[in-house]
Amino acid sequence: MSSAAARPFPGELIRGLRSVAEPRSSFVSFRRLSVVSFPLAFQWFSWPKSRSPLRPVRSQQPQQQQQQQEEAVDLAILPQGLREIISLFQSVSDPKAKYQQLLHYGGRLPPLDPRYKTDEHRVRGCVSQVWVRAFPDPGDPAAVRFEADSDSALTKGLAALLVLGLSGAPAPAIARIPPEFVHLLGLRQSLTPSRNNGFLNMLKLMQLKALQLYAQGGGDPATNSASGEEIASSDGSVGSVITEVPVGREANSGVNGNRVDHRPALTSIQEVSEVNLDAVDDISPAPTGGSGGRAARIRERLQRELLPLELELEDISYQHAGHAGVRGSSDGETHYNLRIVSKEFEGKTLVKRHRLVYDLLQEELQTGLHALSIVAKTPSEVGMK
Amino acid sequence: MGFVRNIPSTSTHHSLSDLVFPLVSQRLPHRRSLNTSPRAGGEGAQPLSAFASSTSSSTASSSPSLSSSQERTGSPSLGDLVRPDFPILHQDVNDFKLVYLDNAATSQKPFAVLKSLSEYYETYNSNVHRGIHYLSSKATDAYEQARVKVAAFVNASEPREIVFTRNATEAINLVAYSWGLSNIKSGDEIILSVAEHHSAIVPWQFVAQKTGAVLKFVELTTEEVPDIKQLKGLISNKTKIVVVHHVSNALGSLLPVDEIAHWAHAVGAKILVDACQSVPHMAVDVQELDADFLVASSHKMCGPTGVGFLYGKISLLSAMPPFLGGGEMIADVFEDYSTYAEPPSRFEAGTPAIGETIGLGAAIDYLSTVGMQRIHDYEKELASYLYDRLKAVPKVHIYGPAPTSTVHRAPLCSFNVENIHPTDIATLLDEQHGVAIRSGHHCAQLLHRRLGISSSARASLHFYNTKEEVDVFIEALKDTISFFSSYL
Repeated sequence: MSSAAARPFPGELIRGLRSVAEPRSSFVSFRRLSVVSFPLAFQWFSWPKSRSPLRPVRSQQPQQQQQQQEEAVDLAILPQGLREIISLFQSVSDPKAKYQQLLHYGGRLPPLDPRYKTDEHRVRGCVSQVWVRAFPDPGDPAAVRFEADSDSALTKGLAALLVLGLSGAPAPAIARIPPEFVHLLGLRQSLTPSRNNGFLNMLKLMQLKALQLYAQGGGDPATNSASGEEIASSDGSVGSVITEVPVGREANSGVNGNRVDHRPALTSIQEVSEVNLDAVDDISPAPTGGSGGRAARIRERLQRELLPLELELEDISYQHAGHAGVRGSSDGETHYNLRIVSKEFEGKTLVKRHRLVYDLLQEELQTGLHALSIVAKTPSEVGMK
Repeated sequence: MGFVRNIPSTSTHHSLSDLVFPLVSQRLPHRRSLNTSPRAGGEGAQPLSAFASSTSSSTASSSPSLSSSQERTGSPSLGDLVRPDFPILHQDVNDFKLVYLDNAATSQKPFAVLKSLSEYYETYNSNVHRGIHYLSSKATDAYEQARVKVAAFVNASEPREIVFTRNATEAINLVAYSWGLSNIKSGDEIILSVAEHHSAIVPWQFVAQKTGAVLKFVELTTEEVPDIKQLKGLISNKTKIVVVHHVSNALGSLLPVDEIAHWAHAVGAKILVDACQSVPHMAVDVQELDADFLVASSHKMCGPTGVGFLYGKISLLSAMPPFLGGGEMIADVFEDYSTYAEPPSRFEAGTPAIGETIGLGAAIDYLSTVGMQRIHDYEKELASYLYDRLKAVPKVHIYGPAPTSTVHRAPLCSFNVENIHPTDIATLLDEQHGVAIRSGHHCAQLLHRRLGISSSARASLHFYNTKEEVDVFIEALKDTISFFSSYL
């Protein structure tokens, strides 16, 4: 199992946002255009807390619920990889684009060796077939790595998301992950425990397997499933076990030190800002690359390449200053709102427009630009000639 | 294609946008109807009274025929007319108007049924058969009246031939445990098809395991329909019972149950008909079929969940030992033994789902007012329309036989799309389009294995669906397919 597979390159991930379908049916685009075009010009400056300005016509209540759900999850306890994934999903607000993102993750997941497609690795409760495997990180015995596969593209995407988000973290951290984090992605995912909840069961199986490995101290998982079951409490709840497992500083710092090599880098900024927020009082100063003047660089680039009729760039990094992925970076310059009107967007779908912008800002993305929320319009769409 | 068809004239909400964007705005009239009570002004009542025909399900309806040419000129289809009666259909899911195409799993309920349920619980809820006070006799009357209605609905020779159960599954188990265990012995044969629902297979597996009998399975032809010739060949004097579906919940095919019954009876075997997918959609006559046992579920025929029924010839039921023991099914109780009631009470232990059974009676009243023949004719059209449109979508494979001029399909299609998992299809159809279909094995794992697949997607219609909804489904499906295809 090549380790490269667990590390999708940042550029490829961004490219993943692009490799999307052009909706062929006019049926769909009618609806999208008719709903999306008007309210945004007036709303987006107020940047609602729920971070989804492009979300069309959803009734208020679910959004409030979602807000509550989002606020209830303490980002600090999630592994770095998972936080980055969450952040990426949140910067993509169109639900269809989120699914494309998910499919992209799935596509990056290498096929699982057939010898692991056994009942021991099978996730119960999926209508599709899903297998998950956990093994100790070859370079860091305290960290767990995962592999997974599925015959359904969306399930594979979810599995890939979990694999990428969880791999490289130590078992106790993995076991602490609350399933509610999935609400932050903005995908509609039920968390009702039932034999049919594939996502929940996937996460729980991965947590169980991680703990089994932890119990053996990195030995062969197959021979130690008994001890894993001893650790898992009788009600099957993995979460409740964690309080009994000592989380040593040594273990953490060991992981700290090795993080740079083994954590899957989802956007290049992770290679730059390495902060282990599992140990909260251990904020290491991180080189960020936010050297000031990013806004100017972005403007200059976009002006040159897209000849926009309107360009508005707002640095909203302060709004994200508290959250996990940013802590330790200095001077903001990590999160922006961009509104741009250009003829270059004519004939392009929403996602193609975003891809165009991301392509032009590659360098920024690699040096600390964390997330960009884009409103990309053609002149005719905003009533200009 | 369907995009430029006029909106049926029951909708009074025409607007310029209807002409310019016909497909999108065809959803709007219904969306707006959310704010007005669908029953207001008798709009719900009106279509029914306009077509009230005799309650006998076998009478040919005198209502106008619903050819598609008539629809194009703007006259409403049966679906359009009855939709206001079904409150649940008028809602949005995931910000899209709901298109409910999972009727083979369960059907929706009209106001008449909902009203009968609340009326029962609000005004005369009381235990049946036991009390002598006013409420109790009112409840008993209504409960027994429901039995009469079911008997008439399937043309049983008398109400005693109807046993109320929890659902069709329980009804089949009743036959298996009661009739099966006392009539089947080692070496006997039970004939099933590989297309049977799990509920029709598993109880007979229990019987075979307990008695030493043998299960024999009829395979599929190349047209993906159970092989009737093979079935005929399998019937021998070892056969004790043949268990077959009337209409397949996955293949959409109809079996010639009357012929099969004939062959079974010729060797002294019984026949049990799983009519779950036929009773809701067409007139079913147990005399014509000469069925020994027939089962159906209320929730698939616009009735509440929690009740179903077994039809059994009274001669058979009278000879059968009880299934569940307890109150109601006894005559006299002593320490060591009890004597049992006559059928149907013998097989109705404990307090039944009284309100729900009465609700089933209300559902039958509603269906009879619309007319089963009319429902069947309309659904035949829907079935062809669905099949033709689905077949025209590239990379889609539909399971089951192709319809011919003489043999039609039920209004359901199980299908797969090349290289895309059915769960992915169903997920996006729901999330991105509000279209509800099912994906999985549809309680027919044997069938799926024979077809060489692990799962399939299924769209199934009922008489409150419309061709416009089929159009929405097809466009949504195309959109979903292109979404996944371009990614792959």
